[in-house]
Amino acid sequence: LVAQHSPSDGQICSSGTARELTVGVGRSIAHHGELLQGVFEGADGRLRRALLTLPYEQRNATATFWPDSGSSVRVRPVDRTKAAAAVVLTLAHIGLERRGGDLTLESAISVGHGYGSSTADVIAAIRAAASSAGAMLSRSTTASLAIRAEAASDALAYGDQPVLFAHREGTVLEHFGAEYPPLAVVGFRAGRTAIDTLRMPRARYSPPEIELFRVLRGLASRAMEDQDPALLGRVATISSQVSQRHLPKPGFEHLLQLAEETRACGIQVSHSGTVAGLVFDPQSNGVRRRLIQAAKLLHGAGFEDVTSFTVGAGGPL
Amino acid sequence: VTPPCLSRYLASYEMPRFAQLRPTLHAACFPLMKLLPARFMLDRAEASGQLDARGHIAETTSGSFGLALALLAAARGHELTLVTASGLIDPDFKHRLEFLGARLLVASDIGGTGGQGARLEMLKAVLAERPGTFWPHQYDNLDNALAYSRLAELIVRAIGRVDHLVGCVGSGGSLCGTAGFLRNLFPQMRVVAVDTHNSILFGHSPGKRLLRGLGNSILPANLKHELVDEVHWVGALPAFAQARALYRGQGIYAGPTSGAAARVAYWVADRHPETSVVVIFPDEGYRYQQTLYNDTWLDTVAGWPPRLTGGPRRVDRIAPGGEADWTYFNWRGRSLEEALADV
Repeated sequence: LVAQHSPSDGQICSSGTARELTVGVGRSIAHHGELLQGVFEGADGRLRRALLTLPYEQRNATATFWPDSGSSVRVRPVDRTKAAAAVVLTLAHIGLERRGGDLTLESAISVGHGYGSSTADVIAAIRAAASSAGAMLSRSTTASLAIRAEAASDALAYGDQPVLFAHREGTVLEHFGAEYPPLAVVGFRAGRTAIDTLRMPRARYSPPEIELFRVLRGLASRAMEDQDPALLGRVATISSQVSQRHLPKPGFEHLLQLAEETRACGIQVSHSGTVAGLVFDPQSNGVRRRLIQAAKLLHGAGFEDVTSFTVGAGGPL
Repeated sequence: VTPPCLSRYLASYEMPRFAQLRPTLHAACFPLMKLLPARFMLDRAEASGQLDARGHIAETTSGSFGLALALLAAARGHELTLVTASGLIDPDFKHRLEFLGARLLVASDIGGTGGQGARLEMLKAVLAERPGTFWPHQYDNLDNALAYSRLAELIVRAIGRVDHLVGCVGSGGSLCGTAGFLRNLFPQMRVVAVDTHNSILFGHSPGKRLLRGLGNSILPANLKHELVDEVHWVGALPAFAQARALYRGQGIYAGPTSGAAARVAYWVADRHPETSVVVIFPDEGYRYQQTLYNDTWLDTVAGWPPRLTGGPRRVDRIAPGGEADWTYFNWRGRSLEEALADV
């Protein structure tokens, strides 16, 4: 895939004059697995793997890029080589070849559980490099640079914008509108082993599953339009049930019971990790009490890292 | 290979428009619903190698499924043989199919029940004669029902939650396919099936049916009785009258099966005013200009005009009524065997 150039997209001085780089900072939020993941028809009629992410704004990664006169990019921590590669790709995209500097990543996102830690590093690094050059990158350019830096990318370039994101191409199959409906989530981890996402076998979906994804995509669109947490929760539960046939989460049946008991809108899971969550309508009756009840029950059932967070609910409950 | 512009036209033609009949009652109005499953079945057959690029297709049908296949076969360059019955095909429709290049084999149908047995034998002879022929087999091909994911998607995009789904049953594909997907999304949704007297689908013995395009004299695998909460048997007269009222009142020029479905859907919407009701209208009225939209023809139909009764008569025994009757039965998600054993 080739990053798309557009006139408004950082191509400010292509005349070869050495541009001054300054210290640049970039950030990216994490995600909390998916609300929907499967295969979906693109505009050309071909099927593509794609997902609708649950944003997790309370966890994020920050990248800082200090340019120097050299031509290589050093990175700390040293294992974040994809983020370093993303800086080189971003500078080249802007028209700055063979520039270097120091990239530092600070992240509060745990690795390997499906929070998108790797993509968050890459997105933050792209934004730090662009900021260093005084360039503004569109979300779509950021996403396609991220795909070039890592083979598959999460939808984090789109932040809190709901999109159906083809994570192997870095393109958007559908824009679902301005924002997610307000959600309150009790998150946890189902299973403890960290997963190397890129080494997982790809799910082979059956024809009935593929047709079901089509309907779920329609319901997701309606849920965004109506700002309806209940409909979106239903999308997430059914997507989790399909995922259960491909990457089973231990204790899933128990989770379905817990969701019913606490009157959650649904269950969402990371389709390629261990993260999962119960999704609630933050405006529903007794939601604070039910969130606490859910957290206690999950903790009691042995699920780890139980936390709660909100999406678009106007702050903590 | 189908030119993309052509396939895009047919892809758009296979989808319905929505009509809001009441604040909570929406109708999905298809110009030719059968295009949706026909296209999907051909796509899947091509993908799995059951149908070659210029391969031969054969099916037994006297209805709009044949027209859908004929449109697709012509556009995609397939040969098509349709087996039909003498009592069920008028000269205009026959000409439309033949204009598209379809070869018609007509079985005689003296009893007026559709001659399914004789037609099946003729079809099997065609299949034996031409190896490699693809038989879509709409009654038993599960891709028929699967095709309706597109309708389910469109309904949830346009309307959101659905509490009652009302639709006719012939092959079972449209109602059970759509209901299967929507029930997964909305587990409380009620499914209301519309059939006609003397159709065996929900336990009547086979007999002559004046209302065509729904009902059946054989049992298709695509009918999942367990999905159905309530069955209505609508006679031809109330179906014709309702179709005419739809045209005059709403500008919806639809076939008689849409009339039957609308009759039931209005009644369901009246009984459950706070719920969201969706009804499927399978085709347009052009094929019926010389029948239900023709007053001279209607005057020859015994019992026309029907008395406009308020609603259906609930029955506890499964038995056919006359063409003026409209009855219903609480099916309650039972299999055919269970329901028949219980009554």
